[in-house]
This record gives sequence, C-alpha cells and structure tokens, in this order.
Amino acid sequence: MLFKELYKHHRLAAKRHPMYEKNKFGKFFMYFMAVFWAGYLIFFGTTFALSFAEAAPNMEPYNVMNKGLIFVFALDFLMRFPFQKTPTQEVKPYLLIPIKRNKILDFLLLRSGLDTFNIIWLFMFVPFAIITVTKFFGVTGIITYSLGIYLLTVLNNYWYLLCRTLMNERIYWIALPIAAYAALGAIMFIPEKNYISDFTMNLGEAFIEGNILAYLGTLAAIALLWMANRKIMVGLVYAELSKVEDTKVKHVSEYKFLERYGEIGEYFRLELKMLFRNKRCKTSLRSIAIIVLLFSGLLGFSDVYDGAIMKNFTSIYAFVAFGMVILTQIMSFEGNYLDGLMTRKESIFSLLKAKYYLYSMGVIIPFIFMIPAMVMGKLTLLAAFSFAFFAIGPVYFMLFQLAVYNNKTVPLNEGVSGRQGSGTGFQTMVSLAAFGIPMILYSSLDALLGEITGQWILLGIGLTFALTSHLWIKSVYKRFMARRYKNMEGFRDTK
Amino acid sequence: MITINHLQKNFGEKKAVDIDNYTINQGDMIGLVGNNGAGKTTLFRLILDLLKVDNGAVTINNIEVSKSEEWKTFTGAFIDDDFLIDYLTPEEYFYFIGKMYGLKKEEVNERLVPFERFMNEEVIGQKKFIRNFSAGNKQKIGIISAMLHKPQLLILDEPFNFLDPSSQSIIKHMLKKYNEETNATILISSHNLNHTVDVCPRIALLEHGIIIRDIMNQNSSAEKELEEYFNVEE
Repeated sequence: MLFKELYKHHRLAAKRHPMYEKNKFGKFFMYFMAVFWAGYLIFFGTTFALSFAEAAPNMEPYNVMNKGLIFVFALDFLMRFPFQKTPTQEVKPYLLIPIKRNKILDFLLLRSGLDTFNIIWLFMFVPFAIITVTKFFGVTGIITYSLGIYLLTVLNNYWYLLCRTLMNERIYWIALPIAAYAALGAIMFIPEKNYISDFTMNLGEAFIEGNILAYLGTLAAIALLWMANRKIMVGLVYAELSKVEDTKVKHVSEYKFLERYGEIGEYFRLELKMLFRNKRCKTSLRSIAIIVLLFSGLLGFSDVYDGAIMKNFTSIYAFVAFGMVILTQIMSFEGNYLDGLMTRKESIFSLLKAKYYLYSMGVIIPFIFMIPAMVMGKLTLLAAFSFAFFAIGPVYFMLFQLAVYNNKTVPLNEGVSGRQGSGTGFQTMVSLAAFGIPMILYSSLDALLGEITGQWILLGIGLTFALTSHLWIKSVYKRFMARRYKNMEGFRDTK
Repeated sequence: MITINHLQKNFGEKKAVDIDNYTINQGDMIGLVGNNGAGKTTLFRLILDLLKVDNGAVTINNIEVSKSEEWKTFTGAFIDDDFLIDYLTPEEYFYFIGKMYGLKKEEVNERLVPFERFMNEEVIGQKKFIRNFSAGNKQKIGIISAMLHKPQLLILDEPFNFLDPSSQSIIKHMLKKYNEETNATILISSHNLNHTVDVCPRIALLEHGIIIRDIMNQNSSAEKELEEYFNVEE
C-alpha cells in the first residue's frame, strides 16, 4: 500500500514537473532519447557478439564480455550521477506521517532498486546473449544470464546510493569510489593474473549456467549494501534536512574593475556572478571548456582531425560552443528573478548588451585553446580570427533571437538532468543552425572560392554583424518587450 | 497618482480582477485587504505591468503603465522572493539596485543607515548569498531594495509576512514616517488586519477581484467593519 503510493509519487513527480508539463518538445525529446539509447545499446550488444567472436576465437564471446563487466558497471556508476537522487533527498515529505522512518527508507530503497533505469543495460545484454549464449544454453541461458546482469545492476545501484549519500554529506567521501575503483584497477593490472576479470568471467558463466550460488551471493551482496545504506541514511536524515549549501562564502568576487562602466558594467558583473556562483551555469561552462580543450588539443597535437572537414568542424565548434551552451538558454536563467528586473526601466536592454559584450570577449578562451593548433600549423591566424568573428557576428545574432522566445525558467542551482536540459524545439533548432550554418557556409565558400577567400568573407560577415550589434540588440529588446507578458507568465509557471 | 479604469483580468473562467474606476491620490497610504484569492497580488502585478490586462488600463501620474516605462523611475516594489537576485550578497544586491537608479555606492551606504535597526545586524556583512538567508531576512532585503531610491510610489505585497514581531513594528513605523515625510503614495496588502488598520488611513477591501468597500480609516475606525466582514470574533 505505502510502496504503491510512493511509487505513484515518483511517477507523478516526473510527469508533472513544470518543465516537462509545459514542454512538448522536451517530452518528445525524452521519448526519442530513450528509444535512441535502447537502439544504441542493442547495436552494441549485437556488434560485441560478432566482434568478440572474431577478436578472440579461442574464447566464447560471453566470456570476453564477462571479463569486462567491471567496466560496464563503472560506466553505469558514472551515468547515475546526473539522474539519480538518493532516498535521503526524497524522504523529507514523508517524515511526519505516522510510519516508522526505517520503513519509509526501506520503501524508498526498494523503489530505487526497482527503478526502470536498472533495466537499461539489458538492451545490450539480451541481444548479446541471444547471439552468443543460445547455442550452448538455449533460451534458459538467456533468461538466467539476463537475470544475473539485472541483479548486478541493482547491486551497482545500491553501491552508487551509498557513495552518493556519503558524498552529499561530505564531499571528501568521493575518495571512497575513487579508492574502490583504483583498488580494482590495481588488482586487475598489477599482478600477472587478472583476478577481477577472472572472477567476473566465472560469475557471468555461473549466471548463464543458472548456478544458484551465484544468485544467492549477489543477493547477499545486495542485502549487505541495502543494510549499509539504511544504517547510513537513518543517521543522515537530520543532516539532509538541515542542509544549506554554501552558507558562508569565503571570498566574494566583486569584479570591481567593471564599476567604471556604468549600468552595462553592472550587468556585466551580474552575468559573471551568475556564471560562477550557480551550479547549473558552472557545470555547463566546465563541461564545455573540457570538450573544447580536448578538441583543440587533439587538433593541435594529433593527426586525427587533420582532414579538412574534421578540422573545420573542430575549429568552428570550439568558437561557437560556449555561446551555444549558455546563450541558447538566454533569459531562462533570468526567469528566476525577471519580475524584479522588469520593474526597472530599460534594464533588459542593458542586460542584453552586457551579455553580448561578455560572450564576445569570451571567444578569447577558445582562441587561446587554439594557439597550440596555430603553432603546429593546423590552423592559420586568419582562420581563427574569421571563425571567432563569425561566432560573435551572425551566430550570436541567431542565438540572441532566443531572448525573444525563451520563456521557461532554468533553475540556477539544480544539476543538469535530462528533462530540464532538453530545451525547447526552437532552442534545438537555433543551436543546430548556430553550428550548422557556419559549417555549410564555410565549406561552400571553400569549395567555390578557395580557403583564404572563404575565411576573409567569413571575417567580413562577422565584423558586419559585430559592428551593428547595438542595432539588432535593440530590435531583440523591442521584440522581447512586445512579448513580455507571455514570457513573464511562462517564466513564472516554470519556476 | 494611480488611476484604474475598467480594469479586468481573467485567468480562464475565473475573474481575478474587475475594477471599474479607482483613484489613488499622491500621498495616500492604502491597505489592500481580502481573503486568499481575492486578487490582491494580481492587482499589484497589473499596476506594475507584470501582467497583461484583458481590459482597461492603469495609469501612474498620467502614464499608462503598459505604454511607457517612465513610471518605473519613481516606483519601488517588492512582491515576493522572485524579485531578488539570490546569488548576490545583500550588499551587492543593494549596490546593483542603487546603480539602476544612478546611486553611487556611498549614497547607497548612506541610505541603508536608517534601515540598520530593521536589519538587526543580520543582513549586512554576513558573507552569504541571498539564497541562504531566512525567509524573514529575504523579506527585509526586498523591502529595503524597494525603498532604496526613495520612490514616490511604493508597492509592497504582504510586507509583514515572515517578519518577527519587532521587525513588523519597525517596518510599520518606517512606512508611516516615510509617507509623512516624503508624501509618497504607499500601497500595501496584508492579511494582518491590526497592522493594516494601524498604518493605513484608507483601506480597500477586495473580494473576487472587485473592490467592494473603500473605507476611510480615521483612528482605527475601520477595525470594526473589517472584523465584521472577516468574521473575526473573540
């Protein structure tokens, strides 16, 4: 009865989330991604089955797969971070109902174990088993193997919950999974005999053979982790309830040098503070910086991106990536406090101008990242300038149009989860165009007029848009004001 | 100062605001009272141009609020937490708001002095972002930010909410004094009848979006009428 209710709440929380309810594209995107991932895993399952047979003719493919199970579950562990909450984060609304706390935690733990997320790997393992296991063990082998893999996923689920709960309490608990995976790595790679791979291979085979001891052992491990989770969670419920993040700030960055630039400078500072003081923005910036750094490093120091198409792809991506990630959500962060801004005269116009100046200056970062590629002769200075100006010109022009239409508040301090990160259809279209148009235009110019002329033309177009930015930003502002009631209503509804 | 003409706002089938004619004069201090869902906040949002009117218009000093932004320079308002930029510290927020009205840092500091008792050493110098303050202190930050530029029109939605009794008393006196000294027009809404009666010489009673009574409150004369309406019995 209680479990049924809790399960219903879990489903309704997702279904009635304001972002999800108001965002038809987001809903479609979720289903699309689910089908996409399922298809992707099925593809991997069949590919592995066929390629393992070729790569290791002396072994059965399922033995090869089972030897690598630890990597699959390490990946599963990482994948859970953006999506999965811990029961201590969810227990709050139920604490005052007349049911024992342990019982509620047990139900929440059970709900977590039965979550559909735990069946995702079966999309890979079932087709894999159909190809590789059937010939020796028939349909029974597929069932017993899949069941074993499912139980291991559930075990991993509780291992994740344990680590995550402890990490929520004190970040230094991150050392626990790091130490655990480092120890596993050491056992795998230091001795001559790989004990871990042998163990997982034998375990997998035992599942296929339907060895009852293998199941009992896994179930015992699940029970052990369950109890450990419960014991820790009971102790941490109070801590979670009184949790306040970053209560005191050690150092408050003022960006005082911007004080002399009046209202625009003030908004410039506000934007910087928004980017560096909120979890959502910081995570986005950090992730994109790593990707751009990786791309530029690969472009500069390896030959993997030396082909013309890949070189252009990488370089253009590096310059538009920051804008694409932050500016597709333009005004959506401000949705959190837009009412306050709207009661002050023309503040949105100044805000938009400040945003443009900040993100235009921001292309200096990918420019610096690209210096190794320029030094290594993979990218000319002219190409870098033309891509940079094209980014702050027509690309930003396109992205800024979203300021008129974005009307869903993006929470500033929530993690980047799939549903909230999916964006609207229009956002996706504009961000694809922001990246696709320079690619298509440059490739066409390159083919028709040659590389150098193409780059000069890109530079010219970019400069034209950049120099006329005050005009089109004014137009964006005017159209924003014309749609303000609709947008404000949308922002309020999605808070 | 404020003229409301044939103002209507509906949410679906529900009539949220329906006011035929209502005038608020310069220097008036008006309390808006009514049960939950009576339309108090909606009316404030319409006056501040945060919602689109379905019919009619609101003008402040003869400026139609939806047509021009000029009224914003002499208006201060605080409706709820959503007005606050919560990743700033209170000082940063005050300086930011000050800058929007052309005030220098020193001027902002000077203008914060009269609020020192109200802030009770719990707001300034805490090295905390606004999001980490209690509801009461957030309320104080919002009220101060609305008054910082000495507006000629001040609109506060439920200003006594979340405040401890001492702070409620302080803000009551501050609002009264501000009204007397500057002849500013002040609009407040509240569920607290005692406070409203204490502070406001004029009280508008709102029911289903309609101002059903416009009560002159001389020496707390409105108290009995309001208690009868709200069925407050000893």
